[in-house]
Amino acid sequence: MAKRITIDPISRIEGHLRIDIEVENGAVSNSWSSCTMWRGIETILKGRDPREAWVFTQRSCGVCTTVHAMASVRSVEDALKLEIPLNAQYIRNLILINHGLHDHIVHFYHLSALDYVDILKIPQADPAKVSNLIEGLSPWTGNSKKEFLAAQNKVKAVAASGQLGIFTNGYWGHPAMKLSPEVNLLAFAHYIQALEYQRKSVQAVAILGSKSPHIQNLTVGGVSNAINFDSLGTLNMDKLFMIKELMAEVKTFVDQVYLPDVCAIAALYADWFNYGAGVTNYLASPDLPLDTKNTKFDLVGGYIMDGNLSSVHKFNGFRDDVFTKGVTEETKHAWYKGEKPLQPWEGETDPEYTEWAAEGKYSWVKAPRFQGRPMQVGPLAQILVGYAAGDPLTRKHTDKALGLISTIAGKKIGIEKLQSTLGRHVARAIRASMLAELGEKHWELLANNIGSGDVATHNEPSFPIGEIQGVGVHEAPRGLLSHWCVIKGGKLANYQAVVPSTWNASPRDAKGQHGPYEASLLKNPIADPTRPLEAIRTIHSFDPCMACACHTFDPEGKPVATVKVL
Amino acid sequence: MKKIKVCGVGSVLLGDDAVGPYTVRWIEANYEFGEGVAVEDLGTPGLDLIAYMTGMNVLILIDSVDNREPAGTVTVYDRAAITRHRPAVRLDPHSPAITESIFVAELAGDGPEEIYLIGITGEAFEVGAPLSEPVQKAIEKAAEVALECVVKHGGTFRRRQQPLPMDIWWENAIQTEVSA
Repeated sequence: MAKRITIDPISRIEGHLRIDIEVENGAVSNSWSSCTMWRGIETILKGRDPREAWVFTQRSCGVCTTVHAMASVRSVEDALKLEIPLNAQYIRNLILINHGLHDHIVHFYHLSALDYVDILKIPQADPAKVSNLIEGLSPWTGNSKKEFLAAQNKVKAVAASGQLGIFTNGYWGHPAMKLSPEVNLLAFAHYIQALEYQRKSVQAVAILGSKSPHIQNLTVGGVSNAINFDSLGTLNMDKLFMIKELMAEVKTFVDQVYLPDVCAIAALYADWFNYGAGVTNYLASPDLPLDTKNTKFDLVGGYIMDGNLSSVHKFNGFRDDVFTKGVTEETKHAWYKGEKPLQPWEGETDPEYTEWAAEGKYSWVKAPRFQGRPMQVGPLAQILVGYAAGDPLTRKHTDKALGLISTIAGKKIGIEKLQSTLGRHVARAIRASMLAELGEKHWELLANNIGSGDVATHNEPSFPIGEIQGVGVHEAPRGLLSHWCVIKGGKLANYQAVVPSTWNASPRDAKGQHGPYEASLLKNPIADPTRPLEAIRTIHSFDPCMACACHTFDPEGKPVATVKVL
Repeated sequence: MKKIKVCGVGSVLLGDDAVGPYTVRWIEANYEFGEGVAVEDLGTPGLDLIAYMTGMNVLILIDSVDNREPAGTVTVYDRAAITRHRPAVRLDPHSPAITESIFVAELAGDGPEEIYLIGITGEAFEVGAPLSEPVQKAIEKAAEVALECVVKHGGTFRRRQQPLPMDIWWENAIQTEVSA
């Protein structure tokens, strides 16, 4: 008899991710992924001026602000066939790179590392041994006995206070926790140091975008930054060098700490390369454009079917017909009217709420499909597509990471192993190290272009009387994001956002095909159904984003999460 | 001199949840501050709140709350009241994370010494709706309480002789020009 487990952070009016799994003989036998809140951004935008859509979409998620702003302006620009000045492309790219670095660092250390790191074993660690353990592995200056001792003392103080605070809900002492006290301490010391480095990326975004978390400098047609090397209040030499310095510090952290940590934890948990592959169809968009017409890119986009890397198909640009014609959304198991798969330009958002029904409708997330297939998006998709397409930058960073993992694990870990729960973490760290390198490149491109005398940042849009359609894509930290707009007489007639987490958190479709979260949970081991750490590991590996949260604080502390064993 | 940050938190797209961003915009339109005091609309930062609270001596958050008081009630919570309840099992980085952010910043040793949450009880959180009447009426009161907190910790402010226009962009629409 299967046990049903519901993992449901119920947080009053805002709804988020709910996962239901059935466990039989110590492993997941069936699964459902639901989002418990309706996204209504599309409804708000109808009838508005396309030039201000990005300001609204930026607010649809408090963490992914920048990415929704970017996809929105690209969508309108695509409809208008507007070219974007080089400076604007580079400034946008630098914002996206820094935002991505911030996001990946926070995701690994502050959202998922404690799925593998047992905090309560840290007091037993010998800080001197930690230094010996990693000697020669990384030149990071933060790897000193003093730093480790300080980190250990923080944990001891929290443990001694009897109030675990932030650590209250960890699965400490769980049988799936495997690291030695010393490795736990090492990772925790970096958890604390990561707080400082993620903030540097936020600062870089704030300088470029005038503000953070909500950047102010986008316009349909470019950016609003005035460029003058010698003038205060504009993007001048001082500011450019501040950004360069911040990016250099973050790059050092990624190269010397984040990537090696992920590789070490992956090597020490190598059996997790065997779980969580799920949907092995991958979809990624090209990004970081290098010209005004969006024809050349630093990140490769395309798709792979059935985990077969030799099947890779590359996309030619932001608006590749294969992509735009291939995408549909279905609502058989989602709380919307209608059953027909619809292309997003024809998309409808008419809610029809029922009870949560395992065989019926059970989520506010629609089921996006590409050529009728469920697709996995995210850093893993981007890395696999780039690797399979032979992109030299992707290959260099991926081979470096796989080499390090293989050395620590004492056995060969090849590219095929990345199609797994752990692989998603490794791919994210590889992407971060690529972004850190590309940050340097795009900074040089911007500085040289301005140095050549080009200070243009904006092309003025003008709207036709008739109807036009646009798609704006962005390879966001969580994967392929696309905003689809229909403009009629200069007003938005339709607007649909197909966000990365709708691809990954998708419910079943009309054919009964599981979405990626659901598929990845099947066959996961579950040692203790009351503490389903293994399921949480797999879900966290996707970097879930059930965006558009309503943010009401509940000081009375109603139960905000339950793990029910039914 | 202490560094004091007044932050509006909440989604401007969800009815009364906009009250935090709304109130800080009202404050910015009507007051200017002395050195060390910053006023910001942070939206719904989730765990990213950490990045904005580190290095501050005093953090004053203005947010909608659900505390079963009548709509428009203004309640001040101190650090102990905010952190009394355990953080939840977290699946995503976006759920409200005030308590968790405070703990993490504290762990790093550079969290604020004093934290206040000025809560305004909301009643309607519909997508695209404006503030409800009782919440709209509570804005000046919430702003007053925030200013009292600023002064208590040595911050200074002055009422503008001419208030600036309030930037409540989500309630206004811009006009499009169309060309043939």
